[in-house]
Amino acid sequence: MKIELKGRIDSNNAPQIEKEIMEQLAGQNDASVVLDASGLEYISSAGLRVILRLRKTYPELSITGVNSEVYEILDMTGFTEMMRVEKAYRVVSVEGCEEIGRGANGTIYRIDQDNVVKVYNNADALEDIQHEREVAKLALILGIPTAISYDVVKVGESYGSVFELLNARSFSKILANEPEKMDWCVKEYVALLRTIHSTAVPEGKLPDNREWFIAAVKQVMDYLPEVAGKKLLGMVEAIPRSDHMLHGDYHTKNIELQNDEVLLIDMDTLAVGDPIFELAGMFNAFIGFSEMDHQVILDFQGFDHETAETFWHKTLSAYLETNCETKIREVEDKARILGYTRMIRRSIRRGGLDTEAGRAQIDFWKERLLKLLEETDTLTFSFNELELEAVPEKLEEVQAFVDERLERADCPPKAQMQIGVAVEEIFINIASYAYAPERGTATVRVEVSEDPVTVTVTFVDHGMPYDPLAREDPNINLPAERREAGGLGIFMTKKLMDDVSYEYCDGKNILTLRKEL
Amino acid sequence: MIDLHMHTIVSDGTDTPEEIIARVREAGIGLFSVTDHDAVKGAKRILSVRTAEDPAFLTGVEFSCRDEEGKYHILGYGYDPDAEPIRRVVDLGHGYRMNKVKARLDFLSTQFGFQFPEKDLQALFALDNPGKPHIGNLMVKHGYAKTKEEAIRDYIDKLRFRSEYVRPEEAIEGILGSGGIPVLAHPVYGSGGQLILGDEMDKRLRRLTDFGLQGVEAFYSGFTAKLRAQMLAFAAQYGLYVTAGSDYHGSNKLVSLGDTGLGDPNEWPEGLKRFLTDVKA
Repeated sequence: MKIELKGRIDSNNAPQIEKEIMEQLAGQNDASVVLDASGLEYISSAGLRVILRLRKTYPELSITGVNSEVYEILDMTGFTEMMRVEKAYRVVSVEGCEEIGRGANGTIYRIDQDNVVKVYNNADALEDIQHEREVAKLALILGIPTAISYDVVKVGESYGSVFELLNARSFSKILANEPEKMDWCVKEYVALLRTIHSTAVPEGKLPDNREWFIAAVKQVMDYLPEVAGKKLLGMVEAIPRSDHMLHGDYHTKNIELQNDEVLLIDMDTLAVGDPIFELAGMFNAFIGFSEMDHQVILDFQGFDHETAETFWHKTLSAYLETNCETKIREVEDKARILGYTRMIRRSIRRGGLDTEAGRAQIDFWKERLLKLLEETDTLTFSFNELELEAVPEKLEEVQAFVDERLERADCPPKAQMQIGVAVEEIFINIASYAYAPERGTATVRVEVSEDPVTVTVTFVDHGMPYDPLAREDPNINLPAERREAGGLGIFMTKKLMDDVSYEYCDGKNILTLRKEL
Repeated sequence: MIDLHMHTIVSDGTDTPEEIIARVREAGIGLFSVTDHDAVKGAKRILSVRTAEDPAFLTGVEFSCRDEEGKYHILGYGYDPDAEPIRRVVDLGHGYRMNKVKARLDFLSTQFGFQFPEKDLQALFALDNPGKPHIGNLMVKHGYAKTKEEAIRDYIDKLRFRSEYVRPEEAIEGILGSGGIPVLAHPVYGSGGQLILGDEMDKRLRRLTDFGLQGVEAFYSGFTAKLRAQMLAFAAQYGLYVTAGSDYHGSNKLVSLGDTGLGDPNEWPEGLKRFLTDVKA
């Protein structure tokens, strides 16, 4: 039984209204009475008492369509704990409002100076809104700066959630209008990204991106050559599980600068997983989507393709803490593999195969994906590992990479110099002999451990088995004319390091240098 | 079960004092008080008609008060109904009320030309507690309005004036001076239509306890658990007595006797137990 409440209920008319309600309820056996308060503007305590008395007679009583003012009164007086009270949704129009963000599930508009509304694409979005609220709260508790919605509103046929966002500007806007702030944006953007990725999430709270990608690859596999498809699936499955947080849609429209604080918004894609999944999404946002048509990025982010490329490259460099192009390229290629996979899947699901333009786009991505799949064997990356061609010309890159890691560890200049000498000896050795006359790759890994602070540099190659330590040390007491030219490099390395060890394992030469700082 | 707040036909209830005794007994209430608005006549009547078999009774009254800070309903319990101080408060209130009725009747006459026969007016003034509903009924009787509510809304309430009221300190002094305990009725709701919470309530209680207020009606039919808890906290903070009342008005309100929100006697707050010990039956 539904009863409408209208206008005001106060001490003047409460008795009359109560009488009318009782008349409507007389002879009704229906135990569930619903008060429709959508026309109710105000209620005084006299009105509250009418509701309370009804509640005593009808324990299932509920109130719907309650406006904010009335809701506040009901909440303050404990009525919301006593019966089901449903708030009315304020109606908000976003016509003519500035669009400040757009994500997979909705679009964010600024409705006034202090507030923004996220309008969900899904018309029946109340569950999505609830989900986003919960994950945003979780993120906030875990230390991620974000905004939490304080109201749900009706926007046309869909729902929106309202956030307070005072004087905020997105990073996209800053990049578009103040190019001189590029480096500052990169710094803040990467700092927040690292915070997100270093946040462990309690189990079961957020979806696992790995699962999502495995399912996505299975959908895309049908459209790829069998060998390539299997390789891709194997590579994604080989990515270890991780309980670390990912934003899921980390591009510059979702980062807001509010006063001096950097805030993350659009939290509904929050997940856990390996950071490569995040980098894949970032690649798409800055490069992938607009790779074929550069106008796309300008329309979406407000800055041009060149700015996007620079920002993306600087971001990767800062995130990986390296200027080593080989390293940046390595990680970018892995991100591109997952990025193209994701875009192909998306396009296919949206009927891309049915239109000529769609097919052209899918072919464009597919061509790049297949090429990358030939060149790449894993999708994981490590911050302290560099894989590159073992040729003497690459020495400079190796040394720069090792130096970057040593500087991060506050390595004293002398030790850094000594390690540099040892790295040179070992890398040149590998580059000169390991694969000769063929070519191959080497991996250099730098690890710093505590107590005592120790640097370990490991070299791995797949060349012919060779133990440089097996060679007898040169006799340095001999006069110059009788000394041999070779063997001095290894000898020096042994002298400069605290420990040098070699093993041959699974077809790999593994040489390890250890130096206590 | 106890119920210390109810009205008879002496004010705006629908039961006579005799009827209310019967209903209290039927409801299984062991201690009750009749608290008519600005009148002690109901309480006096109960004293004279109740027998030894009837439930225990406390004299009661509910004064409507007002000052610069707001409106209050102040209950008085266990006073001597013949004592001079409380009689003075009743007369003061009655005088103000009669002046108000006269002002309303003048307004209806000059503004709308509504006239009433002398006989009806005499009956009106003979009431202990004439007010807007009674004038409204007269208007319906003489065809000036279709319902009492319409009469009040469309005509009587068009007159807005600052009328005179009994001040809270006058009511509190009258009750104390007659051996009674002054208690703030349904504190959260003020005089009925307000919502007084938090700091505002604190300010109000500080002011009234300075005048001599000794208790709060923390158990009230119109309170939710949250409001009750807030009033009990205030009672503890100010060291006040706690009372419980339904504000039963017969068929004029949908409240039943004994509906106070008070639970198991073993869990009654200390302030209520103290009240029951200290109040003079």
